[in-house]
Amino acid sequence: MLNYIWLFLIALALIVGVGKDINDELQNTYQNGVPLEVLFLSSQTPSGTAMKWEGHFYLTAKQFNDFYRTTSQFEEVKQPVVISLSSDGTGSFLFSSADMTPARWKEMSKSASAKDKLMGKVEKIEFSDDKSWAKAQILFEPIRFVKLKAITQAAIDFANTAVEIAFGLIGVMALWLGLIKVAEEAGFVKVLTRLLTPITKRLFPDIPSDHPAIGAIIMNTAANMLGLSNAATPIGLKAMEELNKLNPKAGTATNAMVTFLAINTGGLILIPATAIAVRAASGSANPGIIIGTAIFGAGCATITGVVASKILQRLPKYKKDLNEEKKIAKENDHG
Amino acid sequence: MADLFRSIINLISIFAIPLMIAVFLGWGFFKKVRVYEVFVEGAKDGFNTAIRIIPYLVAMLFAIGIFRASGAMDLLVSIISPVTNLIGMPADTLPMALMRPLSGSGSLGIMTELMKAHGPDSFVGVLASTMYGSSETTFYVLAVYFGSVNIKNSRHAVPVGLLADLAGMLGAVFICRILFRI
Repeated sequence: MLNYIWLFLIALALIVGVGKDINDELQNTYQNGVPLEVLFLSSQTPSGTAMKWEGHFYLTAKQFNDFYRTTSQFEEVKQPVVISLSSDGTGSFLFSSADMTPARWKEMSKSASAKDKLMGKVEKIEFSDDKSWAKAQILFEPIRFVKLKAITQAAIDFANTAVEIAFGLIGVMALWLGLIKVAEEAGFVKVLTRLLTPITKRLFPDIPSDHPAIGAIIMNTAANMLGLSNAATPIGLKAMEELNKLNPKAGTATNAMVTFLAINTGGLILIPATAIAVRAASGSANPGIIIGTAIFGAGCATITGVVASKILQRLPKYKKDLNEEKKIAKENDHG
Repeated sequence: MADLFRSIINLISIFAIPLMIAVFLGWGFFKKVRVYEVFVEGAKDGFNTAIRIIPYLVAMLFAIGIFRASGAMDLLVSIISPVTNLIGMPADTLPMALMRPLSGSGSLGIMTELMKAHGPDSFVGVLASTMYGSSETTFYVLAVYFGSVNIKNSRHAVPVGLLADLAGMLGAVFICRILFRI
């Protein structure tokens, strides 16, 4: 099933991306080749021979929305810009995408020739007598294939992110695997597992109740509930390694693994710290109000996951996998 | 009551890791384990486990990354929103529900946007943050956990994970509608 979902995500992304780009081209969403009338408010008159003007492009929200046929701009546009003029009164402009840049221009700047900068030609410019402002006619560089460029960038960026995440795990992995090894040798994990045997033997009937996997599962669940994700992931991976030692067929998930992941992805956490922090940062009067509701939601997810794992593992389709595994394991034993 | 619960849990979270280090090593020393040598022995596997995850994580994150970049989410939302409207789930929170199992950073971004647009104490704001707290990033967990032991055939893990996420999101809508519906 992972095959299909994976392929679905990729295929949908490519189809929608191409579709949107074709639509942009037909609708001329970015008004390629259409000059825009703006007001240029200069803040610094050029000195010396270089004809570089610094100032702002000014447009009312209505002018902007009319030009791009949207309704997305609510505030007047005041975009800092640098204009270079030649002696015949034409020239070029360049600005960087910043916070107050309209969303449409931000979007355009992402796939412009210089990343996060937009440039174009100044076709006509008429200064006022005191040179403090000018009426200008500007033409942006053509913007095309925005989504396909974004998809290409995302593919590369996220491949890098994956490696960064994995590398970031090395240190904490080593720390926790070391600590757990000591706890195991000292027999601490056995004491821990004995306490929870009544629960764990129901959840994981295939695993001997004093197996190190059970200890790791308990510690992983506890760390997750406390929101200690730095500790939870290494311990969880340790649990997977232990579960895999009981796996009759390498490369195929066992029932216990799926049940364990159901508990893990249910995401039961006593204090949803990230959500609370974001609420507090956006000025909530009561950021912690979601503790109860989030525990309820995660409880629903966890219980459903565990029950679903127990029911689905009996489906002929998945059971057949397991039986075949066992048969193969037996053959291997005899051979 | 809720505040007391929160400060107790916060306290436990702060003490948990120092306490675990102390108990594990102390117990080991008491049981005459050669703690330093055993620690190093165990820590050796850290590197290999982390490196083993890379191909699985690249496959998963790149697919989710291009999905996010393409704007396909808007399309999914427009297809699914007629159904979710029926159960009283605001259409604005649907991207949150769909993104939560796929990407942690993506759903964090959506939650932050929703709070900016609607306010953190609005129904949408409360529901979005409840949804964020109601589930883990299922596909990330699947990739990392199965990847670490080279599991390629995940059997029923994906349907189980998706059913759990569905239940988590529906549970969040249900409880928020009961408690916070104005």
